[in-house]
Amino acid sequence: MTPPPEAPPRPSLLSIATTFGRVSATAFGGGQMGAIRREVVRRNRWLGEDEYLELLAVAQLLPGANPTNVAVLVGSRLRGAAGAAAALLAAVLPGFVILMVLAAIALDSRLPAVNGALRACAAVAVGLTFANAIEMTLPRRRSAIDLAIVAAVALFVLVLHASLALTLAVFIPVALVATRHDAA
Amino acid sequence: MNLTRLALVFAILSLLGFGGGNAIIPQMHADVVEKYHWISSAQFTRFYALGKLAPGPTTTMAALVGYAVRGALGAAVATVAVFLPAGILVFAIGHWWERLRGNPWRDRFARAIKPVVLGLVWAGVVTLARGAADAPVTVGLALVATVVLLRTDWNQSLLVLAAGVIGALTLR
Repeated sequence: MTPPPEAPPRPSLLSIATTFGRVSATAFGGGQMGAIRREVVRRNRWLGEDEYLELLAVAQLLPGANPTNVAVLVGSRLRGAAGAAAALLAAVLPGFVILMVLAAIALDSRLPAVNGALRACAAVAVGLTFANAIEMTLPRRRSAIDLAIVAAVALFVLVLHASLALTLAVFIPVALVATRHDAA
Repeated sequence: MNLTRLALVFAILSLLGFGGGNAIIPQMHADVVEKYHWISSAQFTRFYALGKLAPGPTTTMAALVGYAVRGALGAAVATVAVFLPAGILVFAIGHWWERLRGNPWRDRFARAIKPVVLGLVWAGVVTLARGAADAPVTVGLALVATVVLLRTDWNQSLLVLAAGVIGALTLR
């Protein structure tokens, strides 16, 4: 059974907006999801690891881009509808502005320096995702069932190139059976 | 070209876009290139690359399609249409999910889905690494970043921007 989480803190709307906005403005190279978890769970301690993982699951099951879905769910959990709106706006707007600026100078984006900068940013995004995956897995390290499911899902996706829908259709029933006698 | 149709196409994409931002790209191509001929396939590919390049969600590339159709107003309409409907849906379902707390079925499901999602996170690590950790320098950068991020609470944004500067000077 999931232990009832403590009531989450109530950060100001401004601090929700600046946190998601900073991530949206700077997550070059594909690190937005990783940066959001690091900000929400590790740096601000707005949500616990387990609570965040649950929101991430809901975000992935629903239509929409993952970063904006997580922003809505986290914002809503912290400050209700206003928090959700602030987080969604902040997750989209800076990236939107930067994209328009990039498009305007796109003709110059073949510059080797831009390419080098992006390669380095993408490498840091890999490190960010990797560090997150380690931190998210550590609380579950004593559950052999969990680790087996994690490994099976990862291999299923990587080796068979399975779609998200197929992966969920196969592994949600498997996980429901495998964890039926289990406390969270 | 009317703005209503632009808004409608992206709103429907938004609501049917299961599987995250990348999953809606093929349908977006089918709609805006093949069905409505708003942009060419080559333009679409360039917009996609720019969407990847920018720091926000890749889905933001809808803004570029909107811009090609109706300028700045089109960009704004497409962006709102592609994010707002899914955002409202996620808010409503997230709210309902919170209210179910304590329901045994909800707890069973939440218990089961977590390791599955964690498996997806690990698959994401490998997928990102395949594309981005492709040379000794980038592998090294990725590993250094991993250790620094695990050991310190440093701001990852500064790390990304610092890496960008280093990369601009040393990588090609």
